[in-house]
Amino acid sequence: MPRPLSALPGSPNQARRMSTTRKVSLSVSKVSINHSKVSLSQSRTVLSRTTSGLTEGKEKVSLHHPRRHIQVFDELGNDVTPRPLFRPDPHFPGSRKPSRLLVSQDVSLGSDYAGSYTMFQNTLNPSLVGQFTRSALGSSTVSKSSASTTESMGEDLEESPYRREAVSIYVDLQLKKEVPKVLTKEELDAEVDIYLSETETLWLFNLPTVMHSIESEEAEKIKERNMLYETLCKNRAGNDLYVERVMQTFTGAPKHKEVQCDKILTEEKGIMSTTWTLYDAYNALEFPASTMKPETGKSESMLEVVRKDQDSKYLSTTDRTSENSSTIDVESIIMIKIHEEEEDRSELILKSEKFQQDLFFMERVLMENIFQPKLAAYRQLPILEEEEEEEEEEESYPQVEKVKQSEDDEDTEVTEEESVEAVEEPIPPNLERLWSFSCDLTKGHNVSSMAWNKANPDLLAVGYGQFGFREQKRGLACCWSLKNPLWPERVYPSLHGVTSVDFSIGSPNLLAVGFYNGTIAIYNVQNNNRVPVLDSSEFHQKHIGPIWQVQWVEQDRGTAGEEKREILVTVGADGRISKWVIQKGLICHDLMKLKRTSMDKQKKENEREKKSEALISRQAPGMCFAFHPRDTNIYLAGTEEGHIHKCSCSYNEQYLDTYKGHKGPVYRIAWNPFCYEVFLSCSADWGVNLWQQDDFKPYLSFYTTTHVIYDIAWSPKSSYIFAAANEHRVEIWDLHCSILDPIVVNIANPGVKFTTVLFAKNTDCILIGDSEGQVIVYELKNMPIHTESGREDAIDLLLGPEAHSI
Amino acid sequence: MAEVEETLKRIQNHKGVIGTMVVNAEGIPIRTTLDNSTTVQYAGLLHQLTMKAKSTVRDIDPQNDLTFLRIRSKKHEVMVAPEVPLIPCNRKCSSPL
Repeated sequence: MPRPLSALPGSPNQARRMSTTRKVSLSVSKVSINHSKVSLSQSRTVLSRTTSGLTEGKEKVSLHHPRRHIQVFDELGNDVTPRPLFRPDPHFPGSRKPSRLLVSQDVSLGSDYAGSYTMFQNTLNPSLVGQFTRSALGSSTVSKSSASTTESMGEDLEESPYRREAVSIYVDLQLKKEVPKVLTKEELDAEVDIYLSETETLWLFNLPTVMHSIESEEAEKIKERNMLYETLCKNRAGNDLYVERVMQTFTGAPKHKEVQCDKILTEEKGIMSTTWTLYDAYNALEFPASTMKPETGKSESMLEVVRKDQDSKYLSTTDRTSENSSTIDVESIIMIKIHEEEEDRSELILKSEKFQQDLFFMERVLMENIFQPKLAAYRQLPILEEEEEEEEEEESYPQVEKVKQSEDDEDTEVTEEESVEAVEEPIPPNLERLWSFSCDLTKGHNVSSMAWNKANPDLLAVGYGQFGFREQKRGLACCWSLKNPLWPERVYPSLHGVTSVDFSIGSPNLLAVGFYNGTIAIYNVQNNNRVPVLDSSEFHQKHIGPIWQVQWVEQDRGTAGEEKREILVTVGADGRISKWVIQKGLICHDLMKLKRTSMDKQKKENEREKKSEALISRQAPGMCFAFHPRDTNIYLAGTEEGHIHKCSCSYNEQYLDTYKGHKGPVYRIAWNPFCYEVFLSCSADWGVNLWQQDDFKPYLSFYTTTHVIYDIAWSPKSSYIFAAANEHRVEIWDLHCSILDPIVVNIANPGVKFTTVLFAKNTDCILIGDSEGQVIVYELKNMPIHTESGREDAIDLLLGPEAHSI
Repeated sequence: MAEVEETLKRIQNHKGVIGTMVVNAEGIPIRTTLDNSTTVQYAGLLHQLTMKAKSTVRDIDPQNDLTFLRIRSKKHEVMVAPEVPLIPCNRKCSSPL
């Protein structure tokens, strides 16, 4: 170990030398930090000695005069001298500013350094210290110096003249700054023992070597990498890409800062998470209309989990659940504040469609309540006895009891009577009035036609319009539902009287309405729109006279198996039977022009042309028609003259046949639904005729009244039963029982005329429309049951054995 | 809007209907034909019951939902038509017969 430099070397050369030596030793010692080498152990000790020197430096402060600079001590005697960031070199003008050097020395080593500083001057070369400190900071220098050791030292010396010079300058500085302490020669000559011991090794960095076998797979790669690295190191020397830099980070002065924020209002929200809230959350994520947080999707389990969500954002569900907890007090307070808001929202609610729908349901439920027994009878469900008792309940309780008791008595009486009767003799068939479709809108109108919906058997379309010319007024077409007998589902008002209605078969939402002024309109009943979908009022081909019947007919087009096309057939008082096809609007074709035939000349049809009388028009007003149930090419048309013409769609000039039997306008023709050869016709000549297809004379005639018979209908259940509505009564005929008298006669109230009759399809009910706008539903009770033995037998029964002979 | 009024009126004028009321989501009545105290009482009680019923129905099957609630008692029957969720709830309750 070189002798401690207690003597102050004055020459820079010496210093340089020392610095070099020091440098060398130091650089060697640097290497110890990076890699472990055998030679380094030596240097380590050197370093350790220097460190120990450092530690001991403290003690030696007292030996030397402290450097002349301001020292601040606080109350406790601590040295709190603010360290300057830069110490210029006053003795070396124009010195380059090894600021980093100085700074590093100052900052990193602390105030103690001041003391040890002097120590270094004496004992160690400050360059050593500088190097040391630098090594603590930047590894670049270290590596450089380490690299230098692998090569010649001399190079290194040349490379960093600056540093050395600075260091040497520094050394000089220190030396010059050194206040010459009076040292006696004896002291100087005295031997000073310095004991150095090894301190613990401070491992600052240890990168152990990694060895790979040459035979390993990666050996080649490693060799390559090593080669690359070596070339890199070589290239690095004078390369511009690699520049030595030292950085210093400033540690800023800490400062206390206080921040105060507004009080954070916390709110607790709880939710019970049930299966359906999770389901809602999942669904709401798909439709991002609601403001759900994505975290809600995290919950995986679909089991019932009750948890409290502190930050739940289920808007809809929290509205409902948290609302439960909100008390009336809160609400009352809120109500005052947001009264206007509430009003707006209540308006919204009232206008919303959902509300309308709810009202609709509510009404229906009410109706069901009220009409339950009737509806049950209609649908042939058993009527609950308790229902009736409840029905009779009134508001005040004591009255209820009395009424109930009396009702009970009555009920029992009735049932007794009935049972007694049943035992004694069969009750005659009768009509029991269930209810009536009527409301304020329809009062005073005459029911002109009724039709069931083909798809929904509960939907009924009723047309209101006067028959006579003088009584014409505004008309109405309504769609009634069985579920609400007090108010129609759809109301289509019109300027003219409605004379006929019919629902389409193919598209059951279309309702065709025929008016008194000859126009037809087609409504879509799916929406509440009062404007018809199609209207024929613009057509030049429209009927000129009132349309007495409209009917949708499915026609087979040809034998090639084309799909059935649906056409609308109308007959009007202008004598034309026309078919309307819906293809981008209505297209009208004339199926037939009903020409007048004189009553007398029956011989030949072609004598039609000769007319001796002057006629106003050659057309005979058509009143009704009926398509053959099987063969939709054939149809019967009834005219005002009283003739029934059998026509075919293929010929629109000629009739196939004519049936003459009526003396007045034929109001209705109906084919027997079971027996296809038989049809029925009713007319204003007070009679109903039963015809057989091949016979041109009526087979049976029923002239029981002296009133106009407006409507007839066959029962869908039996081929023998039909109903006829004349002005004062409705007659139900059962041909099996009697061909002379009807089995049931229902007499109307005076002043009311029965105008239309319609059988209900699935039940034993009959609907009768009258001139007051009421459609009354009657149940046919105790009708005789016939066994349908077959078509042939039916004909036999109906027509007698002679039928076969024709 | 007019239709709604009409329907409401019709329902109210039905034979056997004592009163009707329209209640919003928070249980505050918007329209009522009954007196105030009765309305408030009914609204509060029925709101809770409807919620419970709806919750029950949906717990059994989340895709299902409550459409109508009828409570028959000795004296009266109360009918409640609740709203589908995700829309401001309205409820109506009427007690006929």
